[in-house]
Amino acid sequence: MSDLLTNAFSVLSLASVFILTALGLHFTFGLLGLVNLAHGEFLLVGAYIAYAIQQTTGSTVAGVMLAPLGAAALGLVMERSLLRIFYDRPLDSLLVTFGLSVIMRQGVQLIYSAVPRQVRDPLRGSLTLLDVNIPKWRLLIVVVDVLLITGIFVLLSRTTFGLRARACVRNPELAETMGIDVSWVRAFLFAIGSGLAGLAGGLLAPISTLDPQFGLLLLVNAFLVVILGGVGSLPGLVIGGLMLGGSLALLQFFIPTVLAQILVLVLAVLGVRVRPFLIERRGERAHPTSSTAVT
Amino acid sequence: MTPEPLLAVKSIDVSYGRTKVLRGVSLELGANEVVCIIGRNGAGKTTLLRALMGVLPVRKGEVRLLGRDVTGWKGHRRAHMGLSWVPQGSSVFPGLSVEDHLGIASRVSERAETHQEVMTLFPVLSQRLSQEAQTLSGGERKMLAIAQGLVSRPKVMLMDEPTEGVAPVIVAQIRSALSRLVEVCSIVLVEQNVDTALAVGTRAYVLERGAVVEKGDMRELHDSGIIRKRLGL
Repeated sequence: MSDLLTNAFSVLSLASVFILTALGLHFTFGLLGLVNLAHGEFLLVGAYIAYAIQQTTGSTVAGVMLAPLGAAALGLVMERSLLRIFYDRPLDSLLVTFGLSVIMRQGVQLIYSAVPRQVRDPLRGSLTLLDVNIPKWRLLIVVVDVLLITGIFVLLSRTTFGLRARACVRNPELAETMGIDVSWVRAFLFAIGSGLAGLAGGLLAPISTLDPQFGLLLLVNAFLVVILGGVGSLPGLVIGGLMLGGSLALLQFFIPTVLAQILVLVLAVLGVRVRPFLIERRGERAHPTSSTAVT
Repeated sequence: MTPEPLLAVKSIDVSYGRTKVLRGVSLELGANEVVCIIGRNGAGKTTLLRALMGVLPVRKGEVRLLGRDVTGWKGHRRAHMGLSWVPQGSSVFPGLSVEDHLGIASRVSERAETHQEVMTLFPVLSQRLSQEAQTLSGGERKMLAIAQGLVSRPKVMLMDEPTEGVAPVIVAQIRSALSRLVEVCSIVLVEQNVDTALAVGTRAYVLERGAVVEKGDMRELHDSGIIRKRLGL
């Protein structure tokens, strides 16, 4: 029983990391449609802000709390100065965000060099619940995930800002003519996405080794989670994270980690390939005799 | 001294890329007036409304709304000034309900009151509040588009063919709604249906190849046969 619970927490912990890294991408890619290859570098910036604050003040918690603010501010500046002209231009946005990611990565390397850094875990140690040893910081990540998902759900579906944001995403021209400043709503959504990436970077810093490549692998996983779950769908993102995290955790029991990661990538690609057919079949079951609306 | 019109368009040019679509178009709209824009397909009617709403940039000339030059303003600023747009085809926000659509357009403090007005004008929408707008019929979408315009408390409404492609019974409802709307705002109406234009319009401008070729009292233009001749009816 104890082994089962330990394994269950491993799955949950890994899935929560996947979900955490993908939440920001839900805004910038899922909602705004920007193929944001700089997402990993916003994670990197968040992690290094946490590191810098911890080095200066001695407080990791202060660093983690300031990381999203710094990343959101950086995201807002980038969106206003450059990215805002690249909505609805996927190939151009891909190129521009790739360029930005290189600049950000090199910028971090210029300031902090490529020497690996460590952020101190302020909650060192584990809790024991039902005979299961749970690292406190990893439990904190699970809790923060739940709070963030709930908060994002409430923001997007229960507030006037969320309603207007959804309107901007779905029909920007009509939204603009109904009095919504689409340009600024997009800027805020991008800043929220960047801030969430910064928070993820800050939270992952104490359980990772920091170097300028920190964001690269996380970027791949974040895109997989968003695409697998269905671009723009928050419940889909959670399911995607659980599927990826769960399959990786399970495979790691039986095969070496590197092989498990390759296999998970293959499974994810297969999942994306099969997903449209599943949705189509579900749609047919829901509307067996769909009729066209008539005047 | 005559008061400044609610909407004054002074010799505007509008282009799609290098192709000039409107050439020196001028028009005026006074209080509680319905001005019809009439012309054949491709004359530039929809382009004119899009330019007035700020969706398309004006290359030359001036657009004045409530006495202010709004030529370079974006659509949302014009909407806040009291301009509202019922687009052709009545596009909607996919995935959002009828109630969401009305909520986006209305001020939070006036939501209950404006919803009640809409339900009085278009009772069928009260049975569709939780339904996704994209699943409405064409006629219901037109009603929703007009309702959205109404709840934003407009001073000027731009309507692009609100009766196009809908059943006669719904045309009658929309026509009746237009007659009531003109009591609270002024309307620029693009309309191919001459009967509807005649029923609600006070003045008309006839567009041909992006330029105003006739203007005057709606009834006089109709009775003199100019409208039918220009439309090739």
